Amino acid sequence: MNAFLALALNGFREARRNRITMLIAGFALLALLMSTLLADVSVASIERVLVDMGLAGMSLMLVVLAIFLSATQLGKEIERRTIFMVVSKPVSRATFILGRMAGNMITLGVLLLAMTAIFWIELAVMHCPMRSQYLAAIGTLYVELLVLSSIGFAMSSFAGSIVSAMVTAGIYIAGHLSGDIYRLGERAQNALVTGVAKAAYYFLPQLDRLDYKPHATHLLSVSGSDVALAVAYAFGYSGIMLALAVLFFSRRDFK
Amino acid sequence: MALTFFPLMRIFRSGRTRKSGAFTRLRCSGCIPAPHSFSPLSLNTLSPFLPSQVTMTEDSKTPSPAPIELKGVSKQYRLGFWLAKKVQALKSLDLKVDSGQIFGLLGPNGAGKSTTIKILMNLVQASEGTVRLFGLPPSDPKARRQVGYLPENPMPYDYLTGREFVTLGAQLAGYDPKKTKARVEEVLDEVGMTRSAGMQIRRYSKGMVQRVAFAQALVGEPRLLILDEPTSGLDPVGRRQIRDIILHERAKGTTILFCTHIIPDIEALCDHVAVLVSGRLRKEGSVRDLLTTKAPAVEIGLEGLNRGQLESLTGGSAPEAIHELEGRLLVRVKGEESNTLITKIIAAGGRITQVQQVRFSLEDLFMDVVKDAGYKASPGGEIIG
Repeated sequence: MNAFLALALNGFREARRNRITMLIAGFALLALLMSTLLADVSVASIERVLVDMGLAGMSLMLVVLAIFLSATQLGKEIERRTIFMVVSKPVSRATFILGRMAGNMITLGVLLLAMTAIFWIELAVMHCPMRSQYLAAIGTLYVELLVLSSIGFAMSSFAGSIVSAMVTAGIYIAGHLSGDIYRLGERAQNALVTGVAKAAYYFLPQLDRLDYKPHATHLLSVSGSDVALAVAYAFGYSGIMLALAVLFFSRRDFK
Repeated sequence: MALTFFPLMRIFRSGRTRKSGAFTRLRCSGCIPAPHSFSPLSLNTLSPFLPSQVTMTEDSKTPSPAPIELKGVSKQYRLGFWLAKKVQALKSLDLKVDSGQIFGLLGPNGAGKSTTIKILMNLVQASEGTVRLFGLPPSDPKARRQVGYLPENPMPYDYLTGREFVTLGAQLAGYDPKKTKARVEEVLDEVGMTRSAGMQIRRYSKGMVQRVAFAQALVGEPRLLILDEPTSGLDPVGRRQIRDIILHERAKGTTILFCTHIIPDIEALCDHVAVLVSGRLRKEGSVRDLLTTKAPAVEIGLEGLNRGQLESLTGGSAPEAIHELEGRLLVRVKGEESNTLITKIIAAGGRITQVQQVRFSLEDLFMDVVKDAGYKASPGGEIIG
């Protein structure tokens, strides 16, 4: 087994044995199951409630988990000095970062699959079909988690865990508002505000492009080319973030 | 005679034959005998037969690069929010560790020992100078493939079991996957952790953590072991076991860089030592040479004379020390002056109760070096700006 795979599988094993990860995962699965109860007390259709609650629950829990894992992992390794016995092995720092990132993505992927399975079962029990819009929303959620994780790693490659988690959470919120920020810049009379808003738009990840939950809720048609473009953009953004993470981390001293 | 040659045969047989072929060599190195033997594999019995520091390679025309070589290495840490404060952890350090040596690194807190080791392990980058592991920079994973590292106060992943952690160590070290399982069991047995290997590390005692961390350092069959305080946290039995493993590794031809505060361990195990104080190399040499540079002293116990009488006998050359012990006097003089003084004491009516040669220890040497360097405790290095 090569070092990258060993690190990735170890990351997954760590998440499995981490109480916080398991607690968040358990809570997410429970919340997903509870959405069927809400269907009885809601005026909306059962399918609408299941989709709203299901996708929002998945998104919220997995985003929290992605930020927690990516922003705290490197800091924890350095603080606890577990990193000494890994980085001193014949493993490049790039392999270490990418292996750790892959471990996180395996963990998030397994949880997303488990949640999707429960969501599907719920829909089936309520005689609702699994529509392509739902799958598009779930698929792009995973890509969104990739972007967030790469930001978390880029931040934690030079900053502490708390700062990294706060900045990553802030970028997540701002990333969903990036379109609004651009429009604000266009409408502004001040050139400086316009410039800052445009700079923020290009710097922030355009996470709203990866958000297909409204399409799932309102059953809007999903364009394959739009999804492909958004995914390609997300991969590019993640690649840049990971390159920065490797660059910062390679120059870092572990005292 | 057969018994005498048995360890010799074992050493030659265990000369490394690695899969890459590049390291295939018949070698016997580090044959300087340790001052004390703790293992049946101690090389004391071999010294009459072998010259020190023998390294035989297939191609004798190309000398293999030294396992460790540092030239003019300095390290400055920048501290504070604006990184304005500078701390000089190392200053122009030159150090070479030859193949097969057990090299001890000694120094008070803040001397730069851990920084040196971290630079070697690519955990910290040197501000100046050249660092080479087997002729390659430490940033090159190929160089680190040949090194096993045990950090000070090791912190393995506590969610793993001992066996999983050592297996991960083998995987990261690039060990042959087909042989990994057997090798993991072998090193766990070597450090006495086979029975506890299935337990999660978070349930281990400090000594158990130290042993399992030692196992991960050994698992890749390294040619160089870098050990930072390997016996810290261990009970006397554990310390003895670790010392035996170190001697066993040396017998296999592994080079060992060993850093500790426990001076008797250095004295017992190392054949070469360097003393660092405030980031500078203050003394370096073979343990045997360093301990014989100072003329031996003799301690003479006597009765029947008082301190004043004794001082009058010693004349111009004052003794190194005089102690009064319940009516007896204990005087320490230079070896060459002892016979004259004993004769004078007897002639003056004194009675000699004991004559004993005082061995100059590594601890004495260490204290002398630290004192000469004008060391003032400043853990973490010297603040220079």
